[in-house]
Amino acid sequence: MTSRYRLGIDIGGTFTDATLIDENTGEIRIGKVPSTPEDPSIGFTNATDRMLLEASVAPDEVEYLVHGTTVATNAIIEKKVAPTGFITTDGFRDLLEIQRQIRPTLYDLHFEKPRPLAPRYLCFGIPERLDAQGNVLTPLDEDALADAAQQLKHENMTAVAVCFLHSYINPAHEKRAGDILREVFPGAIVSLSSEVAPEFREYFRASTTVINACIRPIVANYLRRIEDRLREKGISAALLVMQSSGGVFTFASASEKPVFMVESGPAAGVIAATYLGTALGNPDVISFDMGGTTAKAGLIQHGTPRVTKEYEVGTAAQSGVGASRGAGYPIRTPVLDLVEIGAGGGSIAWVDSGGILRVGPQSAGADPGPVCYGKGGVEPTITDANLVLGRLNPSYFLGGEIELEVEAARDAIREKCAKPLGMGVVETAHGIVEIANTAMTNALRLVSVQRGYDPRDFVLVAFGGAGPVHANRLAIEVQIPKTIIPMSPGTTSAMGLLVTDLKHDYSRTLIQRVDQVDTGMVANIYRELEADGRASLEREGMNPSDISFLHQVDMRYVGQSYELTIPLPGGKLGAAEIEDVHSRFHSEHHRAYGYSASAEPVEFVNLRLSAIGKINKPHLRQIDADNSPLSAAQKVVRSVYFAECQGYVECPIYDRYRLSAGAVLEGPAIVEELDATTLIHPGYHALVDGFGNLILTKTP
Amino acid sequence: MSSSEIKFDPIQFEVIRNVLLEATEEMTVALRRSAYSTNIKTRADFSCAFFDRELQAVAQAFAQPSHLGSLAEFVPRAIREYGVENLGPGDAILSNHPYLGGVHLNDITLMSPVYHQDELFGYVASLAHHVDVGGGAPASIGAFREVFQEGIIIPPVKLVDHGEIVDDVFRLVLEQIRSKRETAGDFRAQIAANNTGIRRIVSLLDQKGADTVAYYINELLDYTERRTRAEIAALPQGSFSADGYVDNDGFTDKPVYLAGKMVIDADGVLFDLTGCDPQRRAPVNSTHAQTFAACAYVLKALIDPDIPVNAGFYRLVRMIAPSGTVVNCAPPGPVVGGWETQMRVSDILLKALAVVLPERVPAGTKAMMAQLGFGGTDPRSGELYAYYETMAGGYGGRATSDGPDAVQAHSQNTENAPVEETEINYPVRILRYELVENSEGAGEYRGGLGLRRDYLFDHEVSFTILADRDRWGPEGLFGGEDGEVARYVLNPDAEAAKLGSKVTVHLEPGDVVSYRTCGGGGYNPPGERHPQAVLRDVRDGKISLERARDTYRVAINTNTWTVDMEETAKLRQNND
Repeated sequence: MTSRYRLGIDIGGTFTDATLIDENTGEIRIGKVPSTPEDPSIGFTNATDRMLLEASVAPDEVEYLVHGTTVATNAIIEKKVAPTGFITTDGFRDLLEIQRQIRPTLYDLHFEKPRPLAPRYLCFGIPERLDAQGNVLTPLDEDALADAAQQLKHENMTAVAVCFLHSYINPAHEKRAGDILREVFPGAIVSLSSEVAPEFREYFRASTTVINACIRPIVANYLRRIEDRLREKGISAALLVMQSSGGVFTFASASEKPVFMVESGPAAGVIAATYLGTALGNPDVISFDMGGTTAKAGLIQHGTPRVTKEYEVGTAAQSGVGASRGAGYPIRTPVLDLVEIGAGGGSIAWVDSGGILRVGPQSAGADPGPVCYGKGGVEPTITDANLVLGRLNPSYFLGGEIELEVEAARDAIREKCAKPLGMGVVETAHGIVEIANTAMTNALRLVSVQRGYDPRDFVLVAFGGAGPVHANRLAIEVQIPKTIIPMSPGTTSAMGLLVTDLKHDYSRTLIQRVDQVDTGMVANIYRELEADGRASLEREGMNPSDISFLHQVDMRYVGQSYELTIPLPGGKLGAAEIEDVHSRFHSEHHRAYGYSASAEPVEFVNLRLSAIGKINKPHLRQIDADNSPLSAAQKVVRSVYFAECQGYVECPIYDRYRLSAGAVLEGPAIVEELDATTLIHPGYHALVDGFGNLILTKTP
Repeated sequence: MSSSEIKFDPIQFEVIRNVLLEATEEMTVALRRSAYSTNIKTRADFSCAFFDRELQAVAQAFAQPSHLGSLAEFVPRAIREYGVENLGPGDAILSNHPYLGGVHLNDITLMSPVYHQDELFGYVASLAHHVDVGGGAPASIGAFREVFQEGIIIPPVKLVDHGEIVDDVFRLVLEQIRSKRETAGDFRAQIAANNTGIRRIVSLLDQKGADTVAYYINELLDYTERRTRAEIAALPQGSFSADGYVDNDGFTDKPVYLAGKMVIDADGVLFDLTGCDPQRRAPVNSTHAQTFAACAYVLKALIDPDIPVNAGFYRLVRMIAPSGTVVNCAPPGPVVGGWETQMRVSDILLKALAVVLPERVPAGTKAMMAQLGFGGTDPRSGELYAYYETMAGGYGGRATSDGPDAVQAHSQNTENAPVEETEINYPVRILRYELVENSEGAGEYRGGLGLRRDYLFDHEVSFTILADRDRWGPEGLFGGEDGEVARYVLNPDAEAAKLGSKVTVHLEPGDVVSYRTCGGGGYNPPGERHPQAVLRDVRDGKISLERARDTYRVAINTNTWTVDMEETAKLRQNND
C-alpha cells in the first residue's frame, strides 16, 4: 500500500501547529513551531518541513493540505488592506460612512465609529436604479461609471467593490459595471455584491463586498507565496483553506472570495468536535474550546454545526445586547455560531472598586502570561488559581517545558485578591475558578438554552489547552450528561482542518409568501446555484459522484425582520414539500422562541445552497486494550482542592499515555498529558474508550 | 436558611450577579429575535429588567439609554396600581400609561410576577416601542393638543391570565392599532421574553435558594451604590447650570425654555430642572420618567461604565422636575414629542459641566430624537400600514477628536432601517441617503455631519415629522461654531417648500419629503484646526474648498491635494 498523508497547518498568534494524518493507519502526529507574524508563510514552510522530516514523509506523499489562518482577520484589524474604491447607486455614496448610525458603546462620550475601509473620495454614486422587484427604474449611466473607473485607476486603487441597490434580485447593472471596470481599468480586482453576498439589506451586503475586495490582494498574494514554496519543495498536494463556515475551499477559490475565510481559525475546533461526536455516535454536541485568552462554545445538531449570518469582523469578543453592536464591519457570509468570552487560562483576576472579585476580560495572554510562568507576569490568572488548587502539575506543564512557580502564584493571589477581600488564598483561588466557571457556564447556556436547545440532549466535547481542567464542572452546572475529552486536546483544533468537506455556500434573496411562491422560479434559482456549485467543485477536482447539495430557505412570518433557516430537502418544492417546510418552520420557531402562530402567513426570504464535495475522513486510531492494571498508569498522588470535599484531598494522578482502553477512573482523579490536564470530580468517572478518549459521566 | 444567617461570600455574589444579568440579556435576545417590527428587531428599541419583591430594579438589559430609569419608575407604580395581590403565577399585565411613570404611548411594557415554590420572588418586565398605537396619525406621532389624540392609553390590565392570553383585552387593544399583525407579533414576543426571564430566575432560585438570592440582591444594590458614590466623589463638587431652547412647540413659534442645574455633593447628584417652561398644549412635553432617563444618562456617562444599572445606582440620582412643566407633564398634556425635549435636557446638562470637565464633555450634539412616520393604504395589498424611524445627526466635537458624522446621541442609539428592506416592506422609494455636506459646526475638532434621507411616494400618504433644530443648530464649545440647522423640505427638486419640525402633512402621489438633520457643534475655534484635517475633509467632499478657506482659513491645492502652507499661514495670520 502506498503511503498517503494529509497535512493541516494552523497558524496562531504564538505557534504554528502542524497535524499529519496517515490515511492508511489513522495515526496522527502533531508538531509546533513559532509563528512568524512578519511573514506567516515562513512559519508555514518551517512547520511543513519539520513535520515531513520528523515523520519521514516524502513531499509527494502528501495528498491533501488544509490551512487555517487568521491572515484575513488580521489584515482588517490592523487595517493593512488594499487601497479600495467603492461604487454604488447615486444618492447612496455614504453607505460606508453612515453604517448603522449607532454608537458602538452607549455611555462613552469619546466613542468612534469604525473607519470606512474606502475613504469617501473613493466612493462613487452612479446614476442607475432598480426597484425592489428588480425592474429598471433608471438605466446604468455607463459614461459616469467609466469616469469613476478612470479616477480609481488614476488614484492607483488595487481593488474595487460594487454594490447597487437591489442587485441581489437583478445583478445586470453590477455585471455590466464589472465589465466596464475591467475594460477601463484592466488591473483592478473587482468584487460585485451580487456575486459575493446576494442578499438584501444594502449596508451589510456592501460591507461584505468591501471586506472581500480589500483583503483579496493580500490573501491572494499570501496564498500564492505559500503555493510557490510548497511546489518548490515538490509538494503536489491539493491546497485548501478552512472557511468560517467549517467547510474548505481551494486556494484559488479563497483568493476570489476571501471574505468566506475571515473566521478560518476558530471554525476548525468546532469541526473537530463535530467529527469526533459523530464518529462516536453522538451527533448532538456542544463544543467547548478554552485557550489562553478566550473560551468559545459552539453547538452541533445532527452532526451539523450551527451557523450565524450576523457577524462583525475587526472587533473583540462580544456579548450582551447592544454592548458592542456596530464596533466592527458586518459580513453576511456563513460563520460558525460561536459564543466567545474573555475567559482563558491567562484571564486576570482582580478586585473591583466595589470590593468584589472579578475575572477577565483582561488577559495576561502568553506573554508575560500567568504569574506562575515566571516570565514577568504579576497579575494572578485562572491558570495560577488552578495551580494553587493542585489541579496543574508544576513540573509537567507543556510536558515539563516550563517549571511552574507555585509560590509566586500563591503570593500574587494573596496580595492582589485575597487580602483586599479578607479571604484565604485557597478560598480565593477556588473563587477565581468558580467565577470563571460561571462566565463559561453562561456561554454554554447562551449557545444552547438560549437558542432553544436542551443541554441534556447533548454531549460536551472539551478541548484547547485549558478546556479539560474545567469541563467536568461546567457539564455538571449546565446538566450535560456526558463529556468527551479527545486525545491531545491542545491540538484538537488543528485536527479539525483535516476532517471536513469541500464546500461552497450560495444564497439568493427571494421574498415571496409560501402559499403564493413561484415554484418554477425557486427551481430555476436552485438550478443556477447548483450549476455554479458543481462547476466550482469540478474545477477543484471533485468527482461528480462525490458532489452533494444541501438546500435551505430562510423563512419568517410576514412582517418579521429576522429569519430562521429551514432545510428544504433536495430543493424540490411541490405541494407536499410546501406543507412540510411550512410546518417545519412553525416548529422551529416554537423551539427557538417558545411560540408559533400557525394561522399567520409565512414567507421565503433567501434561498440557500451549500455545494459539498465529499472528502474521505481519516479513521480514528484505536488504542491498545492490554488489560494492564490501572495502577500502572498512575504517576503519583497529589493534594488537590475539591469544594465537594471541603478542601484538599489526596488525588491519584494518571498518565494519559499509559491508560489503556476500557480503563475506568473514579473521581477525584486527574489525567495529565503533554498539552492538557483533565480534572474528574468526585461522583464522576472517566472511561477510556477504544480511541483513547476520556468519557466523563456521573458515577451511578 | 434565613437571610440573617447568610455570611457574605464575594464569590457567590459574583456568580449570582452574573446570572441575574444574564437572565435579562436572555430576555432581550428572545424579544428581539421573535418580534415582528423592524423597530424592535433591527433598531433594538426595547428593554428588559428584573425587579425584586420590593419592586427595586435589580438587573436591566437594554440597547437604548432612553430606557434608563423609565422601567425602574414605571414598573413599581404600574404593579402597585394594579395590586400586587391581584397577580398570580402565569399572569402578566400590560401598560403604557404616561402618567403612571410611562413615557410616550408607543412604549408598552409587559410585567410578569416571578413565583418560586408558590412564593412571590419578584417581577420581570419587557418594554418595546410599538410602531403604532392608534391616535391621530400613522405611527402615532404628530402634533396634538391632548394625550387622548396620541393613541390608546392602556392602564395596567391583564394580558395574560394563568398562562393564557386574555382575548378580550388583546382584541380591544389591537383594534385601536393600524399595524395589527405586527403589533400582535410583538406582544407575543414580549410574552416569550418574560417567560424566558422567569425560567432563568426560577432555575437560579432552585439552585441557590430564594433567601440566599434575595440576600445577594440587596448586597448587589449596596455594592452598586458604593461604587457609584465613589465615582461621584471623584467628580467636581458644586453646582453647575446651563440653559437652552427647543425651537418651537409645533403649534406656536414660541421657543421652549429649558434650564438645568446639577448639584454634585456627598449625597449624590441632584438634577434640578426648576425654571423650565410650563407645559404646552403641544408635543414638547416630557414625562417625569422620560426626563429622569435624560438625567440618569448624563451621570452614567460620567462614571465607570462597568458599574451596573440598578436601584443602587438610581438611589443617587435625584431629580427636581416641577409638575406641570415641559419636563414633567401633567394630564392631559400630550407627551409624544417629549423625546425632543428630554434629549435636549441631556445636552444642556453636559454643557453645564463643560467648564469643569472640558476634556470629558462634547460640544452640542444632534440632541433631538428626529422622528418621522408615515402611513396610508398600501397600493400593493390594499392594507393599512404605518412606518416609523428616527434619523441620526452630527455629534459634537470633543477635546481631542472630531464629532462623528451621522450618529445617534445621548439616550438614543437606534439603528437605521435598511433602504432595501424598507422598499420591500413599504410602498415608498428612498431617493437619497447621504451625509449633508458643510453641515458640521466648524472647530479645531469639528462637529459631525448631519444626515439626509429623501422619500418618494406613489400614493396618498400622511407624513409626520416630529423633530426640532431647524432654527438653532447644536451649540459649539470654546469658540467652536454651531452645527448647521436641520431642514425639512417638501419636493426639494421642484417648487421646494419648507416644512416645520413638528407637522403632519398630506402627500399626493409624486411628492418627495427630504429630511435633513443638523450637524454637531464644533470644539475650539476653527482657525486652530490642523490643516491636514481640513485637507482630508475637503478631499472627501465633506466640506467645500470655500468653507475651508473662509471658515478654517486653510488654502488647498486641489491639483496636488496638498495644503498650501504659505497661503494658509497668511490667511490665519490676517484673521488672528
